[in-house]
Amino acid sequence: MERSDVRSLYLLAAFLVCAYAMPFLVGAWAGTVRLDERWLGNLATVVVGGVMQGGVYAMFALGLTLIFGVMRIINAAHGEMVMMGAYLTWVAFFYLGVDPLLSIVLTLPIAFVFGVVVQKLLLDAAVGAPELTGLLITFGLGLAMIYTAELIFTTDFRTIPYAPGTVQLTSAIAVGQNRVISFVLAVAISTAVYLFLKLSRLGKAVRATALNAEVAMVCGIDVRRIYLITTGLAAALAVAGGALVSIQFGFNPETGVLYTLQAFAIIVLGGRGHYVGALIGGLMLAVLENLVSLMVPNGTAMVELAAYGLMISVLLIRPGGLMGVKEG
Amino acid sequence: MTRVEHLRNLALLGACAVALAILPHALTVYLRSFVLFTMMYVVLALSWNIISGFTGYTSFGHVAFYGIGAYACAILVADYRWHWLPTLGVGAVLAAVVGVGIGYPVLRLKGPYFAIAMLGAAEGTRVVATVWDGLTHGGLGISLPSAETSLETYDAMLVLMLLTIVVAYGVGHSRFGVRLNAIREDEVAAEALGINATLYKLAAFVLSAVFPAVAGGIQAYKVLYIDPPSVFFVQITIAMALMSMLGGKGTVIGPIVGAMLLYTAQELTWVNFPTAHLIAYGLFIVLVARFMPRGLMGFAIDRGWVRKGMIH
Repeated sequence: MERSDVRSLYLLAAFLVCAYAMPFLVGAWAGTVRLDERWLGNLATVVVGGVMQGGVYAMFALGLTLIFGVMRIINAAHGEMVMMGAYLTWVAFFYLGVDPLLSIVLTLPIAFVFGVVVQKLLLDAAVGAPELTGLLITFGLGLAMIYTAELIFTTDFRTIPYAPGTVQLTSAIAVGQNRVISFVLAVAISTAVYLFLKLSRLGKAVRATALNAEVAMVCGIDVRRIYLITTGLAAALAVAGGALVSIQFGFNPETGVLYTLQAFAIIVLGGRGHYVGALIGGLMLAVLENLVSLMVPNGTAMVELAAYGLMISVLLIRPGGLMGVKEG
Repeated sequence: MTRVEHLRNLALLGACAVALAILPHALTVYLRSFVLFTMMYVVLALSWNIISGFTGYTSFGHVAFYGIGAYACAILVADYRWHWLPTLGVGAVLAAVVGVGIGYPVLRLKGPYFAIAMLGAAEGTRVVATVWDGLTHGGLGISLPSAETSLETYDAMLVLMLLTIVVAYGVGHSRFGVRLNAIREDEVAAEALGINATLYKLAAFVLSAVFPAVAGGIQAYKVLYIDPPSVFFVQITIAMALMSMLGGKGTVIGPIVGAMLLYTAQELTWVNFPTAHLIAYGLFIVLVARFMPRGLMGFAIDRGWVRKGMIH
């Protein structure tokens, strides 16, 4: 690492400390922070809940960072793919009576095929083009997906009642059962994808293409095929994320936009195309969001502001992100 | 371009101006506001084009300036009883100040990073407008006292559009514009030639922020009700980008044509297919970006209808 690189890392660390201190300061000022035992229990619950939520965020952000890393395309329809996953799970649950977790087995192949088709028809043309092309293509796709979903499912919020019980971790910390299940599954899927990328021959080809597509091509890698697999995998991760989101939160066709922006913030935090970075970024964002919603008045809007603030600040301090190399 | 061609273009613009100035007297109220909004989108697309077409920095959050202008007008008119015309100036100055504040740090980023940062900045501005309810009335929005004659806003938008076209044309054909193009093609090389890229980018950014703010102000006074989701709507940014791309990014005539075509198409589909028009719109965005990334101007250049290597 260069010296300037190390310095920017320190700067980023200092910034993050401030960012996490912020909700406490605002909370102290607004009087929502009370240092009694019950409040500390709340705080611990919120942090643990944030970690659980972060695992799911990290999983669908992994899909975004894959596409961004391999093809330099920002997939603005990523949140809509998450939303699609939520609706697929909902349909499977209410019409076919399939268990939401079991339905992942059904929806993943659908998602993979969807990703491959999108890549083949649309994104292949955007590889190597100015970023606007890819952004507009995916944004248009996202819009079409949102309004198709509205046409079919209306704008009503849907929920899937699943594992409503709580798990008592300590006497003070209780977490919803659905969150624990989602977290465990998200970590398992993320780990599987990570191992696939690290160890398998195909995964190595994906990483080689991300590093340098031309050299990969010279080495005999069928780059177009790698692109297909990348987008297919990314769509599958988003849809799996949707399934796990759907058993925790209500959703409607327009919730996807928020997930897109969260995923942007996460990959910026972690570093482009950096898989472990996406995981850390997901955890950090979710914990910060939960802290803000616990302590800052006007919580739901402020949660969004915190995410955008974090994203822009990290971009400015260290465009390569936590784990990434310096780039601009 | 030769002097004769400049004069011809100016005469053409003048003829359009006269026609558009007479036109509203012959139109129904609906058609008048249709022409007004078409002109607004011409302004938006052309100003977006200054930073993103000429300079190559894809702004995915330009709606922030539009919203700032709309809020400046609405707050001053509704809460402080100003006349609406001076509020447009306040909006423009505010947008310029915010433009420097956002642009100075964010223009250091390149390519997709700049686009993401701008998207975040615009969404952040929307949240601020929602949360700061002491100033902006939060999510309730602001209703403006109705004193509007639709001719006033029409004329204001017409003047703004002519001004934007003249400025965009002027920028495109000046040394300033050539330097912006140089930054777009190769920023390092441009700096090596002695162009102060930071300053030029910032100037282009602020210039492209001012006009949308004024347009936002006029729109607020036209519609008489604004709230954060409607004036900080991501799709307005998308429309700016798409219109420029459809006509031809980096040209002057391109965004104008693109705005007219796209807004008309949007209005027609909206009238005829109220439920499915947004799906069709989404697919249309996909098709334009997928098959016509260089726009109609690129198409015309390939056919040899217009000269290559010029800004039209």
